[in-house]
Amino acid sequence: MTDILTVNGLVKSFDDFVAVNGVSFSIDEGETFGLLGPNGAGKTTSISMISGLLESDGGEVHVAGDRVATSSTKAKAHIGLVPQDLAIYPDLTASENLSFFGRLYGMTGDDLSKRVDQVLEVVGLSERRDDLSKEFSGGMKRRLNIGVGLLHKPRLLILDEPTVGVDPQSRNAILESVEQLSGEGMAVLYTTHYMEEAERLCDRVAIIDEGQIQAEGTRRELVSMVGEKDKVTIAGGGALSSSIPAIEGLAGVTGVSATEQQLDVLAEDASSILPQLLAAVTDAGGSISGVEVFEPNLEAVFLHLTGKALRD
Amino acid sequence: MKPFSIAWSNVRRMLRERSNIFFVFIFPIALILLIGVQFGGGVDPIVGTFSADDGDLSQEIHAAIEAGESFDVIVYETEEALVDAVELGSVQAGVFLPAGMDAATAEGTPVEIGYVARPDGFGAQMQAIVNSIVAEVMMPVGAAQYAAAETGQPFTTALAASQSIADSLQVSPVDVSYLGEALFPASLGQFDLGAASQLILFVFLTAMAGSAALILTRQLGISARMLSTPTSVGQIVVGESLGRFGVALVQGVYIMVLTLIIFSVNWGDPIGAIMLLIFFSAVGAGAGMLMGSVFSNDQQASGMGVMLSLGLAALGGCMLPIELFPPTMRTVAHVTPHAWALDGFAELVRRGGTVVDILPELGVLAAYAAALFALASWRLRVAITRP
Repeated sequence: MTDILTVNGLVKSFDDFVAVNGVSFSIDEGETFGLLGPNGAGKTTSISMISGLLESDGGEVHVAGDRVATSSTKAKAHIGLVPQDLAIYPDLTASENLSFFGRLYGMTGDDLSKRVDQVLEVVGLSERRDDLSKEFSGGMKRRLNIGVGLLHKPRLLILDEPTVGVDPQSRNAILESVEQLSGEGMAVLYTTHYMEEAERLCDRVAIIDEGQIQAEGTRRELVSMVGEKDKVTIAGGGALSSSIPAIEGLAGVTGVSATEQQLDVLAEDASSILPQLLAAVTDAGGSISGVEVFEPNLEAVFLHLTGKALRD
Repeated sequence: MKPFSIAWSNVRRMLRERSNIFFVFIFPIALILLIGVQFGGGVDPIVGTFSADDGDLSQEIHAAIEAGESFDVIVYETEEALVDAVELGSVQAGVFLPAGMDAATAEGTPVEIGYVARPDGFGAQMQAIVNSIVAEVMMPVGAAQYAAAETGQPFTTALAASQSIADSLQVSPVDVSYLGEALFPASLGQFDLGAASQLILFVFLTAMAGSAALILTRQLGISARMLSTPTSVGQIVVGESLGRFGVALVQGVYIMVLTLIIFSVNWGDPIGAIMLLIFFSAVGAGAGMLMGSVFSNDQQASGMGVMLSLGLAALGGCMLPIELFPPTMRTVAHVTPHAWALDGFAELVRRGGTVVDILPELGVLAAYAAALFALASWRLRVAITRP
């Protein structure tokens, strides 16, 4: 895998307030990287520096090997930015908006018109291409906003809270688009304060708070890092407690407790030992009426790391 | 290429707004038409007459008034109708010829001819003309009255003698010559004065109104998004400037061409006129850019823009010709670019000047434009790159 984005020690202060303090991470080709944190954590400031909108006070950003600065046009050609707030002309049509930004990315003529058609298709706005964007619903505007970032087939797509204020249907469409783009090999930097979006989309997640990355890794790595375990609850009857010695012998199991009708198992990775777990219960003469697996989520990780909950 | 894309998006957005179509293209032409009709040339004053007498003297005075070339004449059947016409402004003045004029003059009794007028310039001017006409007709009458009284001859005999002398009398003509030049020469067309001033007023007003669009572009984060593309701050600033300049120029060319075709407005030397328009459009665009980069609220900028545009237009001579200003105010007026642009058009239109003759005006406008664009570029650069 090749690093498309490398961020090294980014720092930004506004007067005495340090908004971003030593942020570092990298994203590979085809990888979706989540920057998860509450409002005011430093996500948008980081993205502004990564996309060359804001000059950093320290640190470096490279995209596809080119250094990013406010004045660097070469590196920016690799980046597609989808800002948190809608940045489209309300009094231009969908296709006019795309064509306008396409020209700013250096596209012209047939290449531009073909690409505009493709992007309209991707964001589901082909039928509304000649309508003014001010006549669109919130979700359609969001999709057009994303379309602008995709026009020039960037190597790195930066999405800053793209689903804020979007209805569930449009949100799902946006998330599906991101999954598709990532599958096509585009590196995606995705900021959100919605834990479920980060869990669904991101291969790796960095948890950011107060301008600093608190932890980084896959969901599983983050969960392990803070000592949180999966929990399997088996409901049933018979000799449930007889299976405890066998279950304790399974790899990754860290604790077992039983009542007459329920067995609770704590494990590093519940899904990998689930078949053996169920077999151990039935082998010991227990009967199973239901199984529930609880995996610790990033909300719990965030709470553990920062002492506060992710909030809207 | 990129600056032109940004500029074109501005022009396209401006043209798409229906209210802009009215204020940019329809309203200025309507105003030029209105001002031309109200204040332009080609308006002849009208004098109404009512005669209560059909004697020779009355008919002679009436004929002399009708023969005058300074005004048109309408004859009224009643005194009340003439008074009403003057009061309503249908005629600018009224002349009343009383009953029994012939008999009274034959007896040597003074005759009082009535004159009513509206209290404006036309009334006073026409009074002098009517006085002169009546005096010319009454001169032989006065002489006959005097001769009849002194010699005891019948009045009619004395009148015939004095009229025959009056016909053969050689009056020494007064040699009249004019010094300097007329403020508004007779050759100035009905719409010429209003067209230039309204062109200047509206080009500036439209450019200032464009500041709101620039603020909106910044507020929507589109300027920032442009910066996230491989487009430099310089290209964005040039593009936005070109957009404002393009809108102002399109409007100016439209006004010039349409008034030329419809109202036959004389814009003078075409190259000079276009150069003035280009330079003044640049001033307007620079001012609009500065407003759009200094203010962060589009409504605030729109209000301030209209206020400044109308204020500068009034001070600069777009509402009342600068030639009618007192000398001090005429000097103060030249703080505004409007006054310089109007000076340029006056040189082209009234004095037949060419582009060479308006180089000083073009130079001043260029300096205004350069200063405004420099300030605006600096402010916009800061505004775009500020977090």
